[in-house]
Amino acid sequence: MAKYTPTVEVGLDRMRDMARGNFDLSWMDSNPEGWGHKVQRSQAGLKLTDVDHGFYGQVPAQGSSHGTMAPRGCYVPEGTISLDQYTINEMTEIWADNAASLYDEAVVRQWNSVTDVPWEKLKTLPDDMEKAVCQMCTGLAEVEFVAGDMPAKWLCRINHDFHEVKLFLATQIMDEARHLDVFRKRALANGGGLLMASPGQEELLAAILNAPDYATASALMHIFGEGFVLTLFRQGEYLAPTEVEKTIFGLCMQDEARHVAYGVKHLKFLLERQPEREEEIHAILEKGEQAIFSLTLEPQTSEPRAILAGGGLANIELGMMRMAFIYQKQVHEYLQRLKVAGIDRTNRLSIPTEIPYAEIAA
Amino acid sequence: MEQRILFPSSDWFQKLAICMLAQEDEYRRLGPMDCTMVVRVSSPENGDRNFEIVFRAFSVDSVREINDPGDVPPEHFIIEASLQTWQEMIENIREHCGPDLKHTLNFLTFPNDPMRVNGPDQLQTDAFYRYNRSIQQFFNGATDVPTIYN
Ligand SMILES: [Fe+2]
Ligand SMILES: [Fe+2]
Repeated sequence: MAKYTPTVEVGLDRMRDMARGNFDLSWMDSNPEGWGHKVQRSQAGLKLTDVDHGFYGQVPAQGSSHGTMAPRGCYVPEGTISLDQYTINEMTEIWADNAASLYDEAVVRQWNSVTDVPWEKLKTLPDDMEKAVCQMCTGLAEVEFVAGDMPAKWLCRINHDFHEVKLFLATQIMDEARHLDVFRKRALANGGGLLMASPGQEELLAAILNAPDYATASALMHIFGEGFVLTLFRQGEYLAPTEVEKTIFGLCMQDEARHVAYGVKHLKFLLERQPEREEEIHAILEKGEQAIFSLTLEPQTSEPRAILAGGGLANIELGMMRMAFIYQKQVHEYLQRLKVAGIDRTNRLSIPTEIPYAEIAA
Repeated sequence: MEQRILFPSSDWFQKLAICMLAQEDEYRRLGPMDCTMVVRVSSPENGDRNFEIVFRAFSVDSVREINDPGDVPPEHFIIEASLQTWQEMIENIREHCGPDLKHTLNFLTFPNDPMRVNGPDQLQTDAFYRYNRSIQQFFNGATDVPTIYN
């Protein structure tokens, strides 16, 4: 009886062969078209866009049917087994022309919540302000990682030929991990703690995670949700009571702008090639608009921001007026981003473009 | 006596570009930025003056005053404010070796008053958010640039 399995025995035979000097070496000439590739480095270093040009920059409209993880542009031997994982094989479904450059930008612009935030500058805040900061951070810690879970849900389904997009989405998952972690840390770091979760936010999260396909999920999350969050981060920097929040929101803002930039260019790419999908996009955006509007009515979401905007509980009404300005800005930028993507939603918007708070309060 | 540089002027932005070169490590830590920023300075005496600063990776590629408004490159964002607002921001940076909480670029632009940021489309305006820390660092270079205003 053989000592090893047939597979191991074959391996051992092959080793004996090599020990006698019989090498195969066919791999050396397996990809003549891809050999001799020339690369010019960018000023910032070696970028993905520097290497993925010419032969290696050809992205197929339909991802390769071999279904393996073989890197795009290599020779795939006959008989390589398919992993049978990829259901997103059309470039239009996920592609954005800026994915590769956003990936390079993201990997260099990483930061961490351990050493990049000047936590030593935290100071005791008045109770109402600390509670408002902690409630806002509770809400953000709740919502942030949907933008990690959503790409993660689709990532292993995306054909390996679209590595630019897969890599960018991987950076987004890391970015969102950091956002969740930094807001949790801020809530717990200054003598306060986590406060109330938001059922309203869960509605929006569900719409993103249950979207029927990647393209609609992306329109809802990258453009609508993250666009609104981007403005919120800008507001967070604006209202920051200390250098700590200032740094946190400033850093998160940069990450968020990358995510939004991908979403806009992706939707543009999709609609230029499949204009018939515009109605699907309108439908999912309407869902998001409705969810976010009901969110603005939720006390745990709107009141802490109004306290911060007003500079304390005593000025919460002034804060509500300022919040109306922020809402208007969010809606305006959202419509403008859709315009870049090729969608005019001005006349189909299902929520008001501004909240006439002064009028309502009168 | 230390030499004071006039703001706004191409010379003044060139000085910041030199400060940027001297801090390459810091800019490398922040990450590269590829964008074109137009700084618009308005004053009753001089009207609107526009300066284009092109950033490539970790340094400034070029600085120039735009004399013909039609000469702005297609891809850019504009930060605009009165000379008085720019002066207050720059002097605040100089006084604290960086802005206090109420004089960061984001703080001043977020309410659209006293500064505004705008691009030909929203994605280009978004570039200001995307590279915000690096752009702030660029203006923080004013700490080492004694400035007079006109
Ligand atoms: Fe985020
Ligand atoms: Fe995000």
